[in-house]
Amino acid sequence: MNAPTATKRRTDTAAKTIVAGDRPIREINQEIREAVMQGYTINVSEPLSRHNFAVGLTGDGSVHFAGSVGYYCGGLSNGGHIEVDGNSGWGTGEGMAAGHVTINGNAGTSVGASMRGGTIHVRGNAGPRCGIAQKGGNIVVEGNVGYYTGFMAHAGRIICLGDAIDSVGDSLWEGTVWVAGNIEKLGVDAVVQKPAEKDVAEIEALLASLGVKAQKRDWKQIVAGKKLWYYEARDAKQWLMI
Amino acid sequence: MADDMKTANHPQADEGLIGFQDGAIEGRPAGVPSSYATGGSPRWTPEVIADIHAKSQLGRYQMRGFNAFNRHLPSFDELVIEPATMTRLPLEGYREQCETKVVLGDGLGKVEQPIELDIPIYVAAMSFGALSANAKAALARGARKAGTMTCTGEGGMLEEERAENRTLVYQLTPSRYMLDLDHIRQADGIEIAVGQGAKPGTGGLLLGMKVSERVARMRNLPMGVDQRATCRHPDFLGADDMAVKIEELREATNYRVPIFVKMGATRPYYDVAVAAKTGADVVVVDGLEGGTGASPAFLLDNTGVPTMAAIPAARRALDDTGMSGKVKLVIAGGIRSGIDVAKAMALGADAVMIGTGMLMALGCNSPRYLADYKALGTEPGACHHCHTGRCPVGITTQDPELVKRLHVDAAAERVYRYLTAMTMEATMLAKACGKSSLANLEPEDLRALTLEASAFTGVPLIGADRPFTW
Repeated sequence: MNAPTATKRRTDTAAKTIVAGDRPIREINQEIREAVMQGYTINVSEPLSRHNFAVGLTGDGSVHFAGSVGYYCGGLSNGGHIEVDGNSGWGTGEGMAAGHVTINGNAGTSVGASMRGGTIHVRGNAGPRCGIAQKGGNIVVEGNVGYYTGFMAHAGRIICLGDAIDSVGDSLWEGTVWVAGNIEKLGVDAVVQKPAEKDVAEIEALLASLGVKAQKRDWKQIVAGKKLWYYEARDAKQWLMI
Repeated sequence: MADDMKTANHPQADEGLIGFQDGAIEGRPAGVPSSYATGGSPRWTPEVIADIHAKSQLGRYQMRGFNAFNRHLPSFDELVIEPATMTRLPLEGYREQCETKVVLGDGLGKVEQPIELDIPIYVAAMSFGALSANAKAALARGARKAGTMTCTGEGGMLEEERAENRTLVYQLTPSRYMLDLDHIRQADGIEIAVGQGAKPGTGGLLLGMKVSERVARMRNLPMGVDQRATCRHPDFLGADDMAVKIEELREATNYRVPIFVKMGATRPYYDVAVAAKTGADVVVVDGLEGGTGASPAFLLDNTGVPTMAAIPAARRALDDTGMSGKVKLVIAGGIRSGIDVAKAMALGADAVMIGTGMLMALGCNSPRYLADYKALGTEPGACHHCHTGRCPVGITTQDPELVKRLHVDAAAERVYRYLTAMTMEATMLAKACGKSSLANLEPEDLRALTLEASAFTGVPLIGADRPFTW
């Protein structure tokens, strides 16, 4: 498929407003995709927590949902700015490669699963498996994160200003989890290290860019202990005997 | 009686004569071989002893590629095709036509561009990483020439494979390596992999020896690490979630391409019924005999349901849920020939997917570079060392020097000829059964030679001419 060339965000036209209600998601998404691709802002009223809004966005426009959304909002996107005035369901921004998602309420399970780029900003709490298999980009959660946050994250940053519960940072590759609050229990092979000042400055700058109030925070950076990286093949020659 | 013999006072024969002394070897009575020489316990076989020796030295299980070794599985060889004679009329094998086309994704009416294949055989999902880039390119080119397709496997979309292919299915695995909107939109189908026949219930595995710079880059991994993929998807768990996921993929691709769900055969009746109800266009069932590039060896031999038994169960699931005709059934796992293809389709498959056989066509186990086979402790015809990354013929390796040994043009031609030959075999059998289309093959065209095959498939046992049932 030859995707039309996306354009930069436009400010020359008033935002368009559409009603989601019980209209077909495909129809609503086509309107959203078209507007965002062309750089416009589009407001969606009555989202009614329905699934799969704003999937596969490209371009630099914006979409604003006046209410909660269901699963996979912004999933597989390669651009666009999404703001949800409410909560979001599972897999918010999963697989996104670029773009920006803001959830003004809480987000469900698997926020930013496998995302490769862009930023997801949750002003409330995020559910379990936040940033699972993340491969790039940033996830910022102002509240708490659920269990298995960062599970097998390959790359990217998960930043939690609240507390993290069970098994945070389990089986990490090169992804990192930052927690300002308490850590209930680390996951397998997770190691807490004191972050470098340069890295902290980067995190604080990112938070400032998202409008998060600056304050002194007790950052714990969780990285891989790397004991699982060579589970079976530390000595490749051993396998030749089979 | 013994007393009578004594009473008769016959002379006692010489012990040497009694003991076949003239045939004795090193003191052992002739005709009584050493129990060591004949070998013995069906439980403590040489393979079992060797496995214990390996585990007791390594402190872990053994790893290997290929597929189930240590199992006697009822195979397609235990089914025979019953051609037309008096009750049915055959078609001319060399002169009349037999349709081979198959369409995947047209049943639910949701897909704008269903996949149309010239033959109901395609190349199974095998990743770049497990296979070399040359192997992926050759498979794609050979498949294209034969009018069929390949699947990316879990390593992401390789440029060479996309470029060589007419039809390419993108595999969405739990690990989501290099998941990219552009790649999804370049694909002609998307396959959600929830398991594989070789090691169902576990994730993909690629040992560090094969995680080269390019493989690592595509998978966002550090070079040289053991890649152990997750077994569950990161953003859905049950069938209800998967149904939403499928709709998301349709949205991302604007309802253009079909969605496949691939699973290892474990509880095929129930699993297929659930998958069909999630809204997938195609269900792929991969049987116990399915191959893999690397796995804990014990999983290969001890997990799953044999392909032959999975097919009727899967078909019955689609029938019982009213989804036959709406959802297509693809079968994989140990399919070797057009004969197997015909039997699988007669049992209920709409199409088949072949992995290991395709590697053979590329040149796997071919008798060249003998010293390199020997260095692996094996020989052509017995090599199963895909996991080591030292493939002597350049197929399951990322070593640049070994990769060069696979000549893409020649290997692609062999893949094409293998696909063509299999199609000829399958159509000849179908025509012998009086079928003008491979899709018309049916269970009635089969009979079972063994009780096991009959019990596994519900196909009538030859002689009794009824299915073996309880």
